[in-house]
Amino acid sequence: MEEQEHAHPRYILIWVILLVLTLAEVGYAFLDLPKIVLASGLIFMALWKALLVAMYYMHLRYEPRRMWVLAASPLPFAIILVLAVITEF
Amino acid sequence: MSNAAVATMDRKPMPGMKVYNKKLGMWVFLLSEVMFFTSLIGSYIILRFAHPDHWTDPGVVLNVPLTALNTFFLICSSVTMVKAFAAIQEGDQKGLKNWLLATILIGATFVGIQGIEYAALSAEGFVPALDAYHAVGRGNPHEGPSLGGPLYGATFYAMTGFHGAHVSIGVLCLIFVYIQALRGVYTVADFEGVEIIGLYWHFVDLVWILLFTIVYLI
Amino acid sequence: MSTTTAPETHAGHAEAHHELGFIRTYIFSTDHKMIARQFLFTSLLFLLVGGTLASMVRWQLGFPGQPMPLGGGLPDTMAPGGIILPEFYNSLVTMHATFMVFFALMPLQAGVFGNLLIPLQIGAEDMAFPRINMVSFWILPVAGIIMLASFFVEGGAAGAGWTSYAPLSASGEWTGVYMGQILWLTSLAVLGFSSILGALNYVTTVINMRAPGMTWFRIPLATWSLFVTAWLLLLAIPILTGGAILLLFDQTIGTAFFRPEGSGEPLLWQHIFWFFGHPEVYILILPAMGFTSEVIACRSRKPIFGYHSMVIAMVAIGFLGWIVWGHHMFQSGMNPLLGMTFMATTVVIAVPSAIKTFNWMGTLWRGNIHFDTPLLHAIAFVSLFIIGGLSGIFMAVAPVDIYIHDTYFIVAHLHYVLVGGSLFGIFAGITFWYPKMFGRMMNEGLGKVHFVLSFIFYNMAFFPMHNLGVQGMMRRIYDPNQYEYLQGLQPTNTFISISVFLFAATQVIFAFNFLWSLRAGKEAGRNPWKSNTLLWATPSPPPHGNFPEMPIVNRGPYEYSHPDAEEDFWPQDAPPATSGSGGQPAASPTPEPVPGD
Repeated sequence: MEEQEHAHPRYILIWVILLVLTLAEVGYAFLDLPKIVLASGLIFMALWKALLVAMYYMHLRYEPRRMWVLAASPLPFAIILVLAVITEF
Repeated sequence: MSNAAVATMDRKPMPGMKVYNKKLGMWVFLLSEVMFFTSLIGSYIILRFAHPDHWTDPGVVLNVPLTALNTFFLICSSVTMVKAFAAIQEGDQKGLKNWLLATILIGATFVGIQGIEYAALSAEGFVPALDAYHAVGRGNPHEGPSLGGPLYGATFYAMTGFHGAHVSIGVLCLIFVYIQALRGVYTVADFEGVEIIGLYWHFVDLVWILLFTIVYLI
Repeated sequence: MSTTTAPETHAGHAEAHHELGFIRTYIFSTDHKMIARQFLFTSLLFLLVGGTLASMVRWQLGFPGQPMPLGGGLPDTMAPGGIILPEFYNSLVTMHATFMVFFALMPLQAGVFGNLLIPLQIGAEDMAFPRINMVSFWILPVAGIIMLASFFVEGGAAGAGWTSYAPLSASGEWTGVYMGQILWLTSLAVLGFSSILGALNYVTTVINMRAPGMTWFRIPLATWSLFVTAWLLLLAIPILTGGAILLLFDQTIGTAFFRPEGSGEPLLWQHIFWFFGHPEVYILILPAMGFTSEVIACRSRKPIFGYHSMVIAMVAIGFLGWIVWGHHMFQSGMNPLLGMTFMATTVVIAVPSAIKTFNWMGTLWRGNIHFDTPLLHAIAFVSLFIIGGLSGIFMAVAPVDIYIHDTYFIVAHLHYVLVGGSLFGIFAGITFWYPKMFGRMMNEGLGKVHFVLSFIFYNMAFFPMHNLGVQGMMRRIYDPNQYEYLQGLQPTNTFISISVFLFAATQVIFAFNFLWSLRAGKEAGRNPWKSNTLLWATPSPPPHGNFPEMPIVNRGPYEYSHPDAEEDFWPQDAPPATSGSGGQPAASPTPEPVPGD
């Protein structure tokens, strides 16, 4: 049974961070910067949002460590597929 | 160890992942969903590298403000979902029902807005089919050269369409959970069903967070 | 609370289900053992379908242009006057592979033995999600009906190969097949759910429902192999599903993901397909490896040689299998640098398989070997897998592959690993676990005759294919005689075809043995093979709930011929050796006597 005593304020705080990041992304996307800088920054922000949802809303942060390994397991394969095939083009 | 000692040993399964079966099962299922979206999103990334001229700058064809609002809605629905979960953890039946209902309504709104978006886009020619593609961009008259190329439309609808399908299935499952909640099935001692639909719902939100960025902002 | 629940008494649980009617017991059962039987009967039927299609292919290659026996019954769109049309031939090779891979080999291993073995070998009362298990089975016949239906639509069944390369598969104007291709993709997309649901069940069950004392390194190798296979299914099948959906869109709503006329990328399909396709072939071989390990250890009365390295090798195969997919694409025009990378990784993946092979041989070495039918099949697995693996090394080297890609050398390789390997491994599994499933032994004499004839005819059929390939005969070809340089190979092709027909005919012996023994086989008793795993601690067949109470595991699964043990086997749940009494353990807690062999 995980500790949830200070969970409630946490959820709202995460919600605010997600909102701020979303607005930041939308603003950032329309700046006049090289494509690669735009793309990296946006992906960086998106990954942070995804991580927050996974860690706090999906409670991964409070699960046993081995669950983190399980949850992360598809990622290397996903990355390998995309990176390898991009070299074709 | 004597036979007597063995006989009194605790006959409980090995600790394993230290989470209950339904939760482990849902997480494992979500991993397969990660790979499913990988094939769709990965195809998009690869096709975009191969034919970048099929895409436009952000906001030219797609409605970023409306979708940003929709993103806000979906994130809100994740909050309402986790509030529902927190409620039943404390045995708050009323909170569980209300927050579940809120999640359902917001989720349905998300799908509705996406449907409206699809209708508007296809009306101006932004469609998945090769021969019919003729996007003219937001706010432009219906004449003019086509912006981007058919891969833009095809990948857009494939990715967001399947995500929308997952949201819709999630809404249906939430309705089922809501009905169960109305019947008092969940208690402070057993709320596995709420937790696992929550996991699915947050996952769907998580995928959208990535999709919104990749499809609308890059 | 919502933690892993302690089991209620299994016996009481079982009694509550006593009153289930016929439908809940035999049709919509949630008992993993019944579901295993359902998978068994259904997939053996699909094996028959696949074999029939293969026989038709071989008729055309062995007796080209001649009317096929019983071929007059086929419609004129397929074989007018019994003579197979080229378009129909394309469908035959496509559908033969499709049925064999997806509807026979996968369900026979993962479906049958995943369901049968996992709960029993780990000491659980059933799978983690019995109702999902039931759904996972029922998807199979539904998908199978869709696939079979595709033969009867206009344009016939899919004809673009089981690999369904775009643009050939994306547009009916090339193959003449329209609806058939759509149904093919639909059927596979539907079937994918069966695999995913089954896989999540297996993973959850193995992780969370092991009996006390069943540590990870006491799990029998059959369950280990199915666990790794389940992970591969879980992560690879969705890739195929996604790709299949995109290809379906190309076929139906006019998108151009893979069609070059719309700036689509045919190579993208190949990458997606093989990214799934390579883990898929490990899905097709790993369980058979697990069965082989069980059978060889048990029938040699020796611990498996190198149990830990066996586990690590399987996990290594599971990981490495994700980074070798490009070796199916060396001749596709892919980036040569990428190709070189795949060549390196492919050569490396031979190592864990070799480790396993040496370990099987090490297990047999100086064992007290009982040459019964399961062991014969297991040894055949090892030897034929070696041949298949060796031919694989040729293909792994990209410059050699330039010459042999898409020839009968490849066909030889894949049939050595899938038939010589997987099918013989499945025969080992069926003959070994049949007594537990049905409470009766299969006939040993018939079993040996079936084995010997199968082994001989199998090698007569497939070994010459290596030579055909090196001589330049391409695969999937309807009429090699259109090329003068291949005309000299016709006698070989005819020889192969006859051997295939004889191999197919031999399977009647197996079918007869299987069906006859259901009623008339010798009663098996609890543990006819004197094996150690928890599965053999139950009655044959086990009751609902499997174990009267959750067993306690005190040792690994391969304590055969242990110096401290009274007999030449030492079940996993037998109590530990009591000290100070010469190390003689008490008898196994389950009281049923083991009948003399």
